[in-house]
Amino acid sequence: MLSEFVQQIINGLTIGGIYSLLALGLTVVYGILGIAHFAHGSIAMLGGYFIFVLLKKVGLPFFGAIAVAMPAGAVLGIFIERWAYRPVQEDSPINAFIIALGLTMVIDGANLLMFGADQVVIPTKYNNVIHLGKVAIVELRLYVILTTVLLILGMTAFINRTSTGMAVRAVAQNRAAAILMGIDVNRIPAIIFAISSALGVAAGAFVGALFAIAPGVGENYVIKGFAVLILGGLGSIPGAVVGGLVIGVSETLAAGFISSSYKDVIAFLVMIFVMLLRPEGLLGKAER
Amino acid sequence: MKKKGTWFVGTAIVLGSAAFLPGIVTVPYYLHLTILALIWVVVAQGQNLIQGYTGYVTIAQGGFMGIGAYSSALLSVKLGWPVWGTLALTPLLTGLLAILVGYPSLRVKGHYFAIVTLAFNMVIYIVLFNYRSLTGGEAGLTDIPRLGDLLSGMIGFSALSSFYYLALLAAVITTGMCWLLINSRVGRNLIAIRQNEALTDGIGIAIWRYKLFAFVASASMAGLGGGLYAHFIGFINPDTFTVGQSLNAILAVIVGGSGTLLGPVVGSFVVVFLPEYLRIADFFRLIVYGLILILATIFMPKGIVFVVGQLLKKMEGIRSDK
Amino acid sequence: MRGGRNMSNPIGRLRTQVWWIALVVLFGLLTAATAGAADKELTIGVSDALTGGGATYGMPQMNAIKLAVDDINGKGGIKIGKDNYKIKIIAYDDQANPTEATNSVRKLIDRDRVKYLLGFCCSPSTSAVASFIGKENAVMLVGNAAERTITTRGLPNLFRTRPPADYSGGAAGAFVRGKGVKRVACIGALDIAFYSLYLESFEREFVKGGGKIIAKETFSLKDRDMTPQLTKVRALNPDALLVIGYIEPAAFVYRQSVELGMKVQRFGFTSGNEEQFLTVATSEQMEGVWDLRPTELTLEALKPSAKVYYDSYKKKFGMTPMPASPYAYDQVYVLKHALEKAGTLEDIKKVISEIATMPVPPEAIMKYMPINGKMFDENGQAYTTNSAFQWHNGKWRYVADLPSDPAAYSVYLRSLRK
Repeated sequence: MLSEFVQQIINGLTIGGIYSLLALGLTVVYGILGIAHFAHGSIAMLGGYFIFVLLKKVGLPFFGAIAVAMPAGAVLGIFIERWAYRPVQEDSPINAFIIALGLTMVIDGANLLMFGADQVVIPTKYNNVIHLGKVAIVELRLYVILTTVLLILGMTAFINRTSTGMAVRAVAQNRAAAILMGIDVNRIPAIIFAISSALGVAAGAFVGALFAIAPGVGENYVIKGFAVLILGGLGSIPGAVVGGLVIGVSETLAAGFISSSYKDVIAFLVMIFVMLLRPEGLLGKAER
Repeated sequence: MKKKGTWFVGTAIVLGSAAFLPGIVTVPYYLHLTILALIWVVVAQGQNLIQGYTGYVTIAQGGFMGIGAYSSALLSVKLGWPVWGTLALTPLLTGLLAILVGYPSLRVKGHYFAIVTLAFNMVIYIVLFNYRSLTGGEAGLTDIPRLGDLLSGMIGFSALSSFYYLALLAAVITTGMCWLLINSRVGRNLIAIRQNEALTDGIGIAIWRYKLFAFVASASMAGLGGGLYAHFIGFINPDTFTVGQSLNAILAVIVGGSGTLLGPVVGSFVVVFLPEYLRIADFFRLIVYGLILILATIFMPKGIVFVVGQLLKKMEGIRSDK
Repeated sequence: MRGGRNMSNPIGRLRTQVWWIALVVLFGLLTAATAGAADKELTIGVSDALTGGGATYGMPQMNAIKLAVDDINGKGGIKIGKDNYKIKIIAYDDQANPTEATNSVRKLIDRDRVKYLLGFCCSPSTSAVASFIGKENAVMLVGNAAERTITTRGLPNLFRTRPPADYSGGAAGAFVRGKGVKRVACIGALDIAFYSLYLESFEREFVKGGGKIIAKETFSLKDRDMTPQLTKVRALNPDALLVIGYIEPAAFVYRQSVELGMKVQRFGFTSGNEEQFLTVATSEQMEGVWDLRPTELTLEALKPSAKVYYDSYKKKFGMTPMPASPYAYDQVYVLKHALEKAGTLEDIKKVISEIATMPVPPEAIMKYMPINGKMFDENGQAYTTNSAFQWHNGKWRYVADLPSDPAAYSVYLRSLRK
């Protein structure tokens, strides 16, 4: 019984790690720029497809491909910020959301065109199963968890330790004051989207290696990503991490111990209850 | 005053020609599409009420359509109630559920609100999908009584034409009711909420009640649309009532003209007919759709109706200069 | 001039309306004209999932139909009296979606004047069409869509080449019972009626040996992480795993069962060729897995024409054919023989009665079991043999036929009609 429970926790941490990674990309964009970047899921998928191609056609190893794809994702993010979101930055926030929906369709359509409708699974050689008593964990999952932790730590270090990171935090707290302090405020949205998309690409790589990339998958993940945001607090980085793990583990435990049919409902019920009881999320600041 | 007069004449002429449409259109398929567009008008007017006028973007119309569709279908198929009754009940039943959904959702605004309604849509979908004993799950419900067949017996037109008139009636009544609502005190308060909620609250208006009313009303319209859909196609399953469908409702309102009465009408026809014309290149369909949405939001954020209106004003301006 | 300004709005709008209607009518007339202009051509309609989640089943059917049509046209076409009719295909993508399918078929019947509809890989879309096709002057030939209710409606103009899922379930249950298995844990797409019906008939036969189904876990088409369900099942100590459902998630179940260290016998009802499984799992992870299903495209069990089909398909489309694709290939030959025997393209009633009484066409790839010499029973349903396949060294191996009784099942199916 205990080993079953531990096994489920480990299962949940893997998927939770992916949720956290995706939510991180969403939360920096929402928290600092106020944009509900719904297209993030599709960008993650694009990253996954791209890495698949790098593996199959160019012959790069898995982590090498990720290292190449992440900067490419960053460039895409900068492009999207400049051409899709910046034109509506002065309009009502609804418009940015609609742009996000349009972007989702465009990127999904491009993915369909470039990679077809069949599901894509990224093959890695990390198939060994490690046994710890009755608990089994396949190498790949371990690496995914480790890499996610590293990326999160890396991002946190960037935000807290570098001067660019400080500029980002300044803009997040008080845009007007930041301008007065001489910070180039127009650079910041580009940087945010670059980071967000790079993280999205990494998340897509893990989804592709552990599960599969296919049309429609991106939307499911981004919706879960928003559930994480709402749970953890829109705009909170620790919230995204904690929220992702909580939702991942809850889903898995619910599927394992209650019923597998309603697994997906967990994330949505969580969202709804949080909205009812504590709209700012577990770790967010109380602001409406 | 003269302007109002021309609006009335214009509407009368449009309705008059619409009444003759079944006689003019020779290919039944296009009538079929028009009926779908009219059903969408009902749903889109609802979306417009909460989004365009009150300023709250909901991503749940698809789910509410599903509630309307399934309630009417189940009551008429499983309990054998008369279809007219079950259809008339759909706004009521959907409205009741909307109160439950609206209560938590309206506690927050903007993006939060949109995302929570999206979550509700997904919950509705998942329940429709998994509660097989009631809804038939993915296999759906078949043999739903077709109103077209019932009507054709009564009025003597073909099944398709009969349903066309029913859908036209529903679209006209819904638009008419929205028109009355917008021009009433309720409507003005809703617009005030959209423009400045804090201020409206500050001057003592019970914004909570108005918001809930708008949300419930819009959901009821979606429910009616869903009921009409069920009794038109004769078969429903959860795939029709997904978040994607809710996004179609948003698209219809934005492209047509958010916050206008004509906008949802135009938008509905665009949403139904555009995919037909884009069928030429299936692969490109998503990309074109998305680009239209993006470009429309950047360059035409107030929709087709607004742009056309501006054009007409310019033309009038030029003429008066002569 | 003042009058002109006030009238510009409604008149302008009316003008646009009339133009719009005129354009629509013109387009409709043009299409009708071009459809009628080509003589000696028979247009058939295909409604299938060409994009989206159902495309894995729909595209291979489309390809199979194209292959059959090219074969027939290459040999001169369909012979009615003294005329040879070349077959032309109009295909629409229904995306396995009920609304799209209704629109597609409406277009085919209304605008394109098609009387013969083929394809239909997926149940939601097919059920939607089945709910109104009875009233149309058309014949509907259903392929891979396995929902049982499609042939329990007593529609005279609907015929299906693929047997319902629970027809195979019973045979599979008897087979697994025969292997001495006692504790089976099932993981499947049990929310889908035809998969849960397979399990029902499987269980009926299986428990006759004193065994028990100790778990019934679900997954859906889009799920890829079944580790929670597998972990739960692992703790119950089953003798065997029964995996029922779509290929994509099922492949993950097989892979993840190995990743969780499970070493039990694995039986499945998924269909799917080697390529489809190998994109997800390694051959070692798949070793020993059984697939208990209709015989479908099994070269060792079928006539030589199956190998010809396999090679032509691979040559023409660059990939191996899906095992279920011949359901659509056979539809075309059913239609050809029925039309030629009836001697007419227009008299639907005659064509229907030919299909209802015809023997299995010689060109048919699947191995059908005729009832009283006829390919289709009174429900419009055809029955193939069921077989057991096992994965060994990277390939599916045909092992044996499962015990099946189509006549008894046909009676059962008839009894389900409301």
